[in-house]
Amino acid sequence: MKNEPQVDSANGGSDTVAGALSVVRRNGNTFGLLALAVSVALIFSLINPAVYASGLNVKSIALSIPEVGLMALAVSVAMTVAGIDLSIVAVANLSAIFIAWYSRVGIEQGQSSAMVTAVALVGGISIGAICGLINGFVIAKLKVAPILTTLATMQIFMGIAIALTRGEAAYGVTEPLANFGYDSFLGIPLVFWLFTVVVLVVWAVMIKTKFGLRSTMMGASRMTAEYSGITYPWVIMRAYVLAGMISAAAGVILVARTASASADYGSSYVLLAITIAVLGGANPFGGRVAIIGAALAAIVLQLIASGLNMMGVSTYVYQIVQGLILVGVFVVAFERKRIHDAVSLKRNRAKSNEQPFIEAKELEETHA
Amino acid sequence: MSAEVATSLGVTEKFGTLWHKYKGENHETALLLLILALLGVIAIVEPSALNMTFVGDIIRSGIVTLAMALGLLLVIISGGMDVSFPAIAIFSGYATITLMNSRGIDGAIWPFLVAAFIGLLLGSLNALFVARYRMETLIASLGTQVIIRGVLLAFIGSVYISTLPSQLDAIGGTSIMRLGNSPVNVLVVPVIVLAFLLSWMLKHTMFGRSIYAVGGDRESARRVGIRVPSVQVRIYLLAGLLAGFAGMVHVVLSRHASPFELVGTELNVIAAVVIGGALDSGGRGSVKGTIYGVVLISLVQNSLVRLGISSYWHILVVGLVVLVGVAIQAQAASREAKATRILESTEVAS
Amino acid sequence: MYALQARGITKTYGGVKALTRVDLDVRAGEVLCLAGANGSGKSTLIKIISGVETADNGRIDIGGEVVGTPSVADSIKHGVQVIYQDMSLFPNLTVAENIAMSARVKNRSRVVRKKDARALAESVVQRLDLRLDLDEKVENISVADRQLVAICRALALEVKVLFMDEPTTALTWREIDSLKGVVDQLKLDGVGIVFVSHKTEEVFMMSDRITVLRNGEVVKSGESSSFTPQTLVEALLGYLPSDDRQLSSRSTDATVPSLEVSGIGRDGIFDDVSFHVGQGEIVGLTGLLGSGRSEIAEAIFGKLPIDTGEIRVAGEPHEIRSVVDGIDAGIAYVPEDRLTQGVILEQSIESNIVAASLDKVSNFGGVVDRKAVSAAARSVIRDFGIKTDDATNPVKSLSGGNQQRVVLGKWMSTDPKVLILNGPTVGVDAGSKAVILDILRATAEQGAGILMISDDVPELASVCHRVLFVRRGRLDGELDINEVSQERIRERLAQ
Repeated sequence: MKNEPQVDSANGGSDTVAGALSVVRRNGNTFGLLALAVSVALIFSLINPAVYASGLNVKSIALSIPEVGLMALAVSVAMTVAGIDLSIVAVANLSAIFIAWYSRVGIEQGQSSAMVTAVALVGGISIGAICGLINGFVIAKLKVAPILTTLATMQIFMGIAIALTRGEAAYGVTEPLANFGYDSFLGIPLVFWLFTVVVLVVWAVMIKTKFGLRSTMMGASRMTAEYSGITYPWVIMRAYVLAGMISAAAGVILVARTASASADYGSSYVLLAITIAVLGGANPFGGRVAIIGAALAAIVLQLIASGLNMMGVSTYVYQIVQGLILVGVFVVAFERKRIHDAVSLKRNRAKSNEQPFIEAKELEETHA
Repeated sequence: MSAEVATSLGVTEKFGTLWHKYKGENHETALLLLILALLGVIAIVEPSALNMTFVGDIIRSGIVTLAMALGLLLVIISGGMDVSFPAIAIFSGYATITLMNSRGIDGAIWPFLVAAFIGLLLGSLNALFVARYRMETLIASLGTQVIIRGVLLAFIGSVYISTLPSQLDAIGGTSIMRLGNSPVNVLVVPVIVLAFLLSWMLKHTMFGRSIYAVGGDRESARRVGIRVPSVQVRIYLLAGLLAGFAGMVHVVLSRHASPFELVGTELNVIAAVVIGGALDSGGRGSVKGTIYGVVLISLVQNSLVRLGISSYWHILVVGLVVLVGVAIQAQAASREAKATRILESTEVAS
Repeated sequence: MYALQARGITKTYGGVKALTRVDLDVRAGEVLCLAGANGSGKSTLIKIISGVETADNGRIDIGGEVVGTPSVADSIKHGVQVIYQDMSLFPNLTVAENIAMSARVKNRSRVVRKKDARALAESVVQRLDLRLDLDEKVENISVADRQLVAICRALALEVKVLFMDEPTTALTWREIDSLKGVVDQLKLDGVGIVFVSHKTEEVFMMSDRITVLRNGEVVKSGESSSFTPQTLVEALLGYLPSDDRQLSSRSTDATVPSLEVSGIGRDGIFDDVSFHVGQGEIVGLTGLLGSGRSEIAEAIFGKLPIDTGEIRVAGEPHEIRSVVDGIDAGIAYVPEDRLTQGVILEQSIESNIVAASLDKVSNFGGVVDRKAVSAAARSVIRDFGIKTDDATNPVKSLSGGNQQRVVLGKWMSTDPKVLILNGPTVGVDAGSKAVILDILRATAEQGAGILMISDDVPELASVCHRVLFVRRGRLDGELDINEVSQERIRERLAQ
């Protein structure tokens, strides 16, 4: 075997600076979002510090982030494997309906509230997993495109919810669950703590496990991944089950906070979740993990929502803002690339002009 | 198929050849058989449901779906996806009515043209994001959908308009014939005419063939000299125009204008187009198949009540039917995508 | 009279100079061969002339008219037609429509009729004396037929300058003869033809003049008669590959073969294929493009499972129905298309190296052990001489040759008993090529059995103990260890 000497890395103290810069460059997206969050908070605080920067408002923002943030996480996971999940809200509602229903029924039957809570939660998350399994099966085994699959399952899961509830809201919550929805720890609402924990867990799964690595590869290049022994169904089933469970967690928070659940709640969340995922750095064509980004983007979006609400802007205008953000991410990326390409084209042109140009010389004919 | 191979075929192979010949470009015959099968099921379970009123109801609920599906068909053949068409439709219809009411003007034909024009303008938004900014078509249409809806509700109006200008209202009540108890509205005619026009365009114009080419292999289309962005722009403008027209048809048929309607019907229209044979991967599809797809969806929706299924189950049942239909198409497509043959068939080997 | 002149064409892609001040002269009524190895820039040059890409610098004159930097429409308008290597057909449309497409676009027809397309297609097919099913969808026809359709499409128009990028890779002698007849007729009509190839026999057979491209620069240009096969190869590669065979040594005991396939077949693709690869043996598998050679390899690996027959690895029969089965059986496969099948460009070198052996570097819970990954990557980088200073850099930062080493490293990390490679040195610089072949010899010496699919004749002769031939889905003969030579391989392929 040939042994060629390895190129030595840079030496000396410039290593730390270079190291720090490379960390910033690699996590440019995260820093960018942090900067964005800070800017948005500052702008709205300046507009009306008394209302926006008040403790009450901060708490309200913190309470509104987890639900939609979790759904954005689910979308981000689906996007990593080059898919999408439109059924997130329907799954969250279905889980929430079960939890609300069982909470009421279980207490009525005289079981302990701890027991009922446990069963309700396990059942709720399991429903999320089953829904995800269905999605994964249809996409991977029946080979239906993710958009079509989740568009259909969104309707199917909602249809199940409607059939079960006869179109009415389900009411019910156990005390532990209600307390969870209401209490805070160290000034931060418990639901936000749950959100943070889920974000970190999902991030760890996507970055540090076999599954996470395989998902990223499958999303980046399905062919290469398959040639490397990674199978599409293996990855897809797990990815959508994960997404389903995350959506179910959103449902848990929903019940904890409102003690109710209905089949048609939150239909506008689907688009908001997708917007957050995309702003957070997810690539709809697959291959990128953007979990932390999605969490930060969720904070940004809710900061904006709160600010617009404070300014009396109608929800319809807020919808327009969401749409503009969604397309804006890509327009900005496109323009940046265009400018970058134009600059390097200029540079290449200049370079090739520098060297002496021999005009239309006759090609040397060689003779035998 | 070469003559040599056809010589020594067994019964199964003969049937296979026949099937291959008649199954239609995109399994349209299969779809037709499916529709007939469903009718058969209904005939067995609830024969009283099968009457002319039933047919009339299917037509009535199918008109608007078909009008929207025609525009979507173009997008899907080109390899894209669009969920903004219901928003474009209702915006166009509602805005036109609002315009007419605010100016106190009335009309029968020109409102449709105005709505179509508004749809065309809205379609240009999709065109911008897809053709110029090279955005992924689904995400682009998700964005434009919510922007269009937001602008409609925030700046045009969010009020339920219960009476239309008289001439339009009159059209809503004009029928060309009666099927049982169900009147067939005159608007069926322009929609069918549009369907024919579109079918002709797809088969016999360079634009139409370019749509198939772009959907089949975008890079090859570029290399052959087809100006892909130009084709995409025209597709989205045309899709917007058709959606705008469809929105007006919906408003007139329902005899009222509500800006909250139509959004939420994406699944049915997309399903109709996909089940009709236009796979989401692009390059395939036909008007005929789309019509069958619309008939199928409309058939299922209208039969649920007649079969005595309580309304709480409707959404679930339709969703399941859609999923099954789309899955069947996906399976058929993946089975057909066989690896290219290398071996000569043994009969022909020298 | 020049049909086309290109002057000073320069193009840089993201820091890599693809073309440097390239000049090209195409004379009317003459065949110019643009010769160059993969990666020499010939495809880029064609794309620039045809308008699909734009040059950074330089200009193009067609038929005496200065066109500058043409767009696709410009070049088509001036009569430039290109038959691309990947054929650029529309799988969802019929043969007739594919053939008529270029003409339709050029004529700016608004309304089109199926009949017209069919008539045009029929006239072209008849003129070329070919047999094609005009109503079949292109996705259903064979690779050879697709190449013919691509050729027909270009000739359906009035063409002034015709570029053919490796158009004969899938054609048999009879069809190539037919093509030569067409080319001769076109020459008489005053068409300037550019025939792009890296196959020296065809270069000499078809061309009047030759321009050799290497690393994006013109290194030699002149009449075909001024070249000999040796000078041509030397110009192409930059060195003269030795005629010697350098075979790895094998232990002489008759041990169980690493790989044995008996009567394997896949419906419609290949049939009744039987051969074996001994331990430490390097066996070559070659044939025309579309002959089934890749399919046979992928079937053994599990990507395209067999319908009949048996596969034995190290004497043990294995049921291989998927890639996972293949890997479990101890088979590794380095695919044909590195960029879309071999590496994941955006992912790190590390990740790419462990992609097929993740189970080895993760614990029971599925958590990946970063230290194990770094260690695995380090040893591959060291053993294969991959030039990089940071294993967490994305693979796209590496050159083609180094990328290929990553792919090899990925597969060697699975400790395979059988290593199958498909075109292992395609698009790889000369230095990496030699290293890769050495790695193969060393791997063989360590006991693995190697099956190498290639159409690089010197490479086959240099490294393979035996060479097998595939034709239309069946094995068509073998050259044993004493018979292998470049000449004989070329002879067999040309039959």
